[in-house]
Amino acid sequence: MTLLPLLLYLVAGVVYTVFFVRRDSRAGRLATASLAAAALIHTFVIGMRTVEVGHLPLVGTASAISAFVWMLAVAYLYTEVTTDERALGVFIAPLLVALQTISTVSGTVSEPAAILDSPLLAAHVVSLLFAYAAFALACVVGITYVLLFRELKSKQLGFFAARLPSLHVIDVMNGRAVGIGWLFLTAGLAVGVAWALRLQPDTSDPRVLAMSFSDPKIFVVLLSWAIYSFELYARRAIGWSGRRAAWLSALGFSIVLVNLVPVGYFLTESHNF
Amino acid sequence: MNLLLLGVSHHTAPVDLRERVDFSKRGIVTALRELARCPSPAESVVLTTCNRSEIYVACDDTERARDDLAGFMSRFHDIPESELAPHLYARTEGAVAQHLFRVAAGLDSLVVGEPQIFGQVKDAYATAAGERRTGTLLNKLFPWSFAVGKQVRADTGLGEGAVSVSFAAISLARKIFGNLKGLSVLVIGAGEMAELTAVHLRSQQVRRITVTSRTLARASELAGKVDGVAVDWSAIDEALLQVDVVVTATGAPAPILTRASIEPVMHARRNRPLFIIDVGLPRDVAPESGDLEQVFLYNIDDLRTIVSENLARRQEQTSRAEAMVSDATEEFLVWLRSRGAIPTVVALRRRFEAVRRAELERLEPKLNRFPPEARARVEEITRVLVQKLLLTPTERLKSARDAATAAQYADAVTRLFDLEENRSGASSLAGGMEEDREPAATSKTPVAS
Repeated sequence: MTLLPLLLYLVAGVVYTVFFVRRDSRAGRLATASLAAAALIHTFVIGMRTVEVGHLPLVGTASAISAFVWMLAVAYLYTEVTTDERALGVFIAPLLVALQTISTVSGTVSEPAAILDSPLLAAHVVSLLFAYAAFALACVVGITYVLLFRELKSKQLGFFAARLPSLHVIDVMNGRAVGIGWLFLTAGLAVGVAWALRLQPDTSDPRVLAMSFSDPKIFVVLLSWAIYSFELYARRAIGWSGRRAAWLSALGFSIVLVNLVPVGYFLTESHNF
Repeated sequence: MNLLLLGVSHHTAPVDLRERVDFSKRGIVTALRELARCPSPAESVVLTTCNRSEIYVACDDTERARDDLAGFMSRFHDIPESELAPHLYARTEGAVAQHLFRVAAGLDSLVVGEPQIFGQVKDAYATAAGERRTGTLLNKLFPWSFAVGKQVRADTGLGEGAVSVSFAAISLARKIFGNLKGLSVLVIGAGEMAELTAVHLRSQQVRRITVTSRTLARASELAGKVDGVAVDWSAIDEALLQVDVVVTATGAPAPILTRASIEPVMHARRNRPLFIIDVGLPRDVAPESGDLEQVFLYNIDDLRTIVSENLARRQEQTSRAEAMVSDATEEFLVWLRSRGAIPTVVALRRRFEAVRRAELERLEPKLNRFPPEARARVEEITRVLVQKLLLTPTERLKSARDAATAAQYADAVTRLFDLEENRSGASSLAGGMEEDREPAATSKTPVAS
């Protein structure tokens, strides 16, 4: 059963590729339907796990990645339905498949420590995962911007110019995704700090005590926050939209990915619950 | 019933004659109603565009119908037949299908792959169907052509890419800004090229057009034509801050916009995208200006290159599209031939049914001893038996790949089952059966739609 979402994401990826290459509207509708089916089955799997273990499966890197994949799929589907633009699916689907593979291969649901039983912590995790999903979207949208920008600048209109929406639309999507992601990241960090500050005086748990700016996970997430903050500031104040914003989105999400996978698995001392 | 097409197009007639045979001047509906008074066409569709005027009909006698249609076109447009005749072309049967499929796919157009013709074919059919001038044959042929047209465009991309300089500029603007309705345009120069581009942009409903020229009076004149505003030449830098698209066409001997003059403007614009269309010769904008971030500079040669690449791409796809049309025509011909087998099929069915009835009547005294349910069961079993026995021969008769084979099959079946006496009655019955089976709204086509 846990393999089913991965297989369906894979199918959606294949159909989105067929749609992107052939621009067949039936393939496009099928791609959306298969991604919706994947997200639905994924919801069901997460629901089953919740019933099984008695809490939302957000603890542990594998579970967090799986929840992130689900949020990204839902966020992308929302974008697709509201903009009627399917061309970006081919860029999102590989990310969904890759991350869901990591989650499926390594994943078991961890029993949460008693210390984690807090609504503040749930809000912290959900906010950050939603922020990461928005940043993933912004990154993918940014990559498509650069691809189209290059074709337009070089006057060699070809594959991407025929398939992608306008630069303006892509840039607006990027700006919105970064803005929403930054809000959730900021809120998630604030809630996390409040939770840690409340616990630290009374706990001997080394993971909670390790929560400081020197912990790799916390340091890297603050770095990504700084980059996204700069991107938002630069877009409004000095006109860094378009290609520069796209590069910053890609840089920001690379750091998020590093934080989510290698740092999350191997380096952090504070967040390995 | 046979298919016939008679028409005039850009392949056979000069533009002045094409203008005179344009059915839309007096109205397609009027043409269809007058055509209905001609004795030979049983069904008819009138297709008229700026490059063609064609009449598609289903008729019994194609020779007679051809003369009728030529006479009708001559009378309707008030052109002597002798003047019109050398420019007319006629097609019959499979060639009609092939021609219409090529037309719907955009292969027969002046600019190969142009998209408007597909809608025009659809409108022509809808008008004729609305006037109840279509029947079995045209109700099959036209929806089939829509499916072919759609499939050709989807699979070959034949209609993609701009094939005129002004449309290429509009397409680029759309690729940069998306919707053009909110855009502001600055036109520098008031000559013919500037006017052409400005008029084209106005037709896209841009928000505001500002015109400037070294002579303010000329700028005002052009601004009046495109519902824009004229500004003094010295206000170019200020205007550049506001606009999204710049069209330059001055014919000045040296560039009027350089990297050095655009760079501070881009800084002040906070790098808002600026699309510059330089249609001046010599160029009005220094080429290195295009290196600036968010400046998209296209000169007349760049636009022409895009157009010629698109035309070449369309040409490459033409052979694929022609092959698809050929396949579709072959499939349509199979269907058309299958209609020829219908009188034989009907006669065969009547023959078998007569045998079944005769046997049931002969056995009636014995069957009367059984209860009504059992008698009904016997009736049902014999009917199904006859249907099953006839299924394969019917399919074979209808699916003959060529006319000779179809005739051989029909002849053999007629001789083997002695159907001659039933065939004449079957022909009229077959026509009625076909009408019942294939109303316009439910015609099926084997090509994906």
